[in-house]
Order: sequence, then C-alpha cells, then structure tokens
Amino acid sequence: MLPSERLAIAARLHVLLRRKTGRVTDTEWLAVNAEYAAEIVRFARERALEPGMEDVAEWAGRLEQAMMATPAPRKTLLGAIAPPRAPAPATGPAVARESEARKPGWAESLFSDTRPPGPRDPDDADSGRYVGGLR
Amino acid sequence: MKNTVGAKVAIGVCALVMGIAVWAQPGQPDAPAVPAAVSASAAADVGAQGVPAIVASAQAPVPVASAPAVAAPAPLTRPALVAQSSLNGADTAWMMTATALVLLMTLPGIALFYGGMVRKKSVINTMASVVAIAAVVTLLWFAFGYSLAFTPGNGWIGGTSRFWFEGLSYLKDAGKVSVSHIAPNIPESVFSMFQLTFAIITPALIVGAFVERMKFSAMLWFIVLWSLLVYAPVAHWVWEPGGWIARMGALDFAGGTVVHVNAGIAGLMCAYFIGPRRGYGREAFEPFNLGLTMAGAGLLWVGWFGFNAGSAVAADGRAGLAMAVTHIAAAAGAVTWMLGEWIVRQRPSLLGLCSGLVAGLVAITPAAGFVTPGSAVVIGGIAGLACYWGATGLKRLLQADDSLDVFGVHGIGGIVGSLLTGLLASPLVSGVQGSIATQALATLVVLAYGAVMSAVLLIVIRKLVGLRVDESAEQTGLDIAQHRERIGT
Repeated sequence: MLPSERLAIAARLHVLLRRKTGRVTDTEWLAVNAEYAAEIVRFARERALEPGMEDVAEWAGRLEQAMMATPAPRKTLLGAIAPPRAPAPATGPAVARESEARKPGWAESLFSDTRPPGPRDPDDADSGRYVGGLR
Repeated sequence: MKNTVGAKVAIGVCALVMGIAVWAQPGQPDAPAVPAAVSASAAADVGAQGVPAIVASAQAPVPVASAPAVAAPAPLTRPALVAQSSLNGADTAWMMTATALVLLMTLPGIALFYGGMVRKKSVINTMASVVAIAAVVTLLWFAFGYSLAFTPGNGWIGGTSRFWFEGLSYLKDAGKVSVSHIAPNIPESVFSMFQLTFAIITPALIVGAFVERMKFSAMLWFIVLWSLLVYAPVAHWVWEPGGWIARMGALDFAGGTVVHVNAGIAGLMCAYFIGPRRGYGREAFEPFNLGLTMAGAGLLWVGWFGFNAGSAVAADGRAGLAMAVTHIAAAAGAVTWMLGEWIVRQRPSLLGLCSGLVAGLVAITPAAGFVTPGSAVVIGGIAGLACYWGATGLKRLLQADDSLDVFGVHGIGGIVGSLLTGLLASPLVSGVQGSIATQALATLVVLAYGAVMSAVLLIVIRKLVGLRVDESAEQTGLDIAQHRERIGT
C-alpha cells in the first residue's frame, strides 16, 4: 500500500473521530506509527459500540489493515555491511518489548539507523524522523 | 512561600560567593603595578586568554643580550593603571570587533539556531531564555563574575578587587587606563567585555538541553547560580595565570573545556534531572523552521572568528592563524558529518551540515592558537564524526532527552578538541608542546566538577521552585504557558 493511501485512511479516521467523539489525532503520525495507530484503533472500536458510530468502526478496521500491509524496511549501505541485530523475542506486551529493545548498551551506541521500529515504506524516508532525536 | 525561601537562598548564595572570594584574597586596590616576576608556568602560555608572555612578546621585541641598557618592562601580575600611550590601537580595535562578533553568536546566533529546532509551540520560550541569559549574566559578570574569574586570587578562585567593576577606570586628564595583566595592550573594559561574551554564550548553550519543559524561573535560578559557582571558577582555573589548571600546563586557547565541555556536561545533567519531554521517543518532535537554524549556524560560524581569533588578544599573526584554522575545521566537520549521515541514513541533511560545522568549530576552539591548518582538518574531521555519534548513538546509550544535543555536540566536540590539542599542538606555532595526559586530566576535572555542581544546583532549585512545567503547560507549549505569546503563523 502506498503511503499516500495509508495517509488518506488516517485522515478519514481523524475527521470521523474529531466530529463524532471530539478526539483529536495526529494524522501523519497515525499513518506511520503502528503503536499509535493501534491505540487509536482500540479507542475507535470502543466508541463504535455506541449507536451511530458504524463508520468509525469501519475506518478503524481499514486503518488496521493498512498498517499490517507494511513492506520490509529500507536497506541502508551500513546495513548491507553490518547485518542488523536480532530482534527481541516477541513475548509479553508490546510496551515491554519496546523497553527491552531500548535498554542501553554499547550495541545501542553504534552507528545505525536511529529511527524506532515501526512501519516503513521504501519511498517514505520520513518514517519516524524526529522521533527520539533530531539528528 | 517558595519565592520567599528562594529569595533567602539567593541572598545566602551571594553571601557564600562573596565569602569565598574574600577568603580567597582580601581586596587589593589598583596600584600602579609593582611588577613581579611572572611564574614559570604562567609564562609558559597556558592558553591565549591567559598569555601575558605571548602578548608581551608580540608587542615588545625582546631586547638582545648585548644591549642590556634598555630594560624591558616586567609583565604585570594583576590589573593595573597604566599610561594610555601603552595601549595598542590595532589590538584594541580588533578586540572590540571580536567582542561584537562573539555577542552576535548568542544574539541572535544561538537564539535562531535553537529556536529553529524546537517545536513551534516553544520557539518564543527558547529565544526568550537566550535573551534573558544574556541580560542576567551581564549583570552578574559586572557584579561578581569578572572579578572571580580574571583577577588574581589563589589557584581556585579569583579575588574581589573587581567586584562591581571597581577600579576598571579610564582617566582622561591623568592619561591613565586600567588594563588586565592577561591583556596588557588593551583597555580592561574591552577585555572584560570580551570575556563577558564568553560568559554569556556558555550558559546560553545549555538551554538546548532542557527546551520545551523547564520553568522559566527555574532556568533563571540555575543560570545565575551556575554562572557564579561553575563558570567563573572554571574560567579562573584554566585562563587566569594563577589558576591551578593553567599552572598544570593544560592548553585551552578559546574555551574547549571552559565553554564547551562545561556547557555540555551541565546540559546532560539538566536533561537527566528535568526528565524527557512528554512523548519523547514515541512522537515526532518536528522542528519549527530549519531555515532559522541554518541562519543561526551561519552566524555562529562567522562569530567564531571573534571567539577564536579574538582569543589571541591581539591583532597579530597568531590571531590570523587562529582564524584560518577555525574556518578549515568548521568545513571539515561539516563534510565528515555529512558523509557519515549519507552512509548511515542515505541522506545528507541540512541540520547535519549545520551540526557538523558547529562540531568542527567546537573542537578547534581549544586548539586554535596551537595548531597548523593541516591539523585543523584532522581535528574538524574527527569531531564531525564523533559528534554525529554523540548526537545519535551515544544519545541512545545515555537515554537522556538532551533535546538539541548539547552534550552530543559541545560536550563530545570539546573533549575531542581538548585531547587532540595535546596531540597536535605545534611548538612552531606557539612555542609549547602539548600533553594528552594533561589535557585529559583537565577535561576530566571540568567534567566531574561540572556534573557534581550542576546536579547539586538542580536539586536545590527543584526544592525551591520546581524544575519543570506541569503537564498541561507542556502540552499547550511554553510560549503560551510561560510568556503568553505566540510565534505567529
């Protein structure tokens, strides 16, 4: 799925949530960050139990599908030279896995892509830019 | 209630500072200098800001041994009134220019550089912090700071003789003017102003570590206390010829340790104690306008000529060389950061270029009057990569929201520059040989003192007024919450 399509879905959900629940979301972030998207989808489905909110549930489902259809992360020159570290074992809740991955160690200080894990698109170089640092 | 307690603590701190200074040295009024022999270590060129020997030799050729009839005036060992005719017009003009250049680095250089990198809702607060620091530190410098830093006292702290700029005179009819023993060829008013601009920019650099969440009042408290209890003593240790680090022979031409390592470690401590911005590591913190950042970086680059070449305290060949190596190192830093980013991220960014040139400038600062242009390429190039790592990999390791990478750029750049000065200082340039061990010791001492004192100050201020704004203020943005202003559309 193209980033523009994902952004369009996020924008549609943003408008619905704003209009029907008063909840304001960050559309661009919603389209690139899986954790944030999952939280908004959860919120949308919770509110969709109320009458007249069927379209909210529908677009939440679309966003969820869009976020799952994510291509492999972009390869960098450095990544071609040095293979990436093995991912943390997928046990426990997502938050716990993230904090495990962020535990400081010398491996964390190596030159590497500083963007956090999450959905990436080969044509979307801005995924996660400015998260956890400017440079 | 907190304000009352705060006022009492402020009075206490001032009394403490004055007490230390009185203990260090009873006030010694100006007297037409009674020159004494400069100690060997003081004469051994500790760094241009404390180099009476170099300045003197540049202006007054050493008499040849076969003509002892004309005795060279012995160098001053403390501020003194001298004949106006003894001043050097070219040196004075250059130092006034350099002073303006260094002030330009802060106002508006740092304000633009940092203001462009924060989110739109806190641009005003970032800029206001820099302006407030410039004003507050100026008054502190006039009252206490200059005297504590640049008058003779003991190895640890200067004296009180220049409190409130007492004795800093220009007597037209008598034809006298006061000069510092550190810069005997220019009026002391110019020297003190030049040093003031360094005292301003150093705490202004720290702002980058705590933007977008620190209370404005807490920031002012921290800067006041830090300037008096950290900056002034460290400047005395390193730049006043009687300072203990200067006597040890450590080289710091324009402030690698005094300014950059000092600011870097203070910024890191602030980041730890104040805590990360809400959403840090999860949300994208979009910079307001990187065009402003580029304009600020340009002003820093140009202003750094005053910073480094001005630190020669003379309009001479050494100042010219300092200017050349400054420019070369900035270019090398920009290129290596750009290349590093290109390889790792596949994109060379404008912010990376700006950060790289600052990294090169930071690293050449302690070395500027000691190294050749070739060494400047090495220093700037290494610093560009080291600071790129400092602002990315090391930042992840340290896990502090040092928001604009004060430690990553200024701390790491200062450390790299200080160490490389020991390695690359050329006796042909300055007549001194560097020592990596001495440089490392000086750097470690400044790091340790800065870390401990900054931590103590932050703990005290947290008790007094609190360090950070509440959640709703942070959410709204500090521009509205702290200043009731908006940057505009």
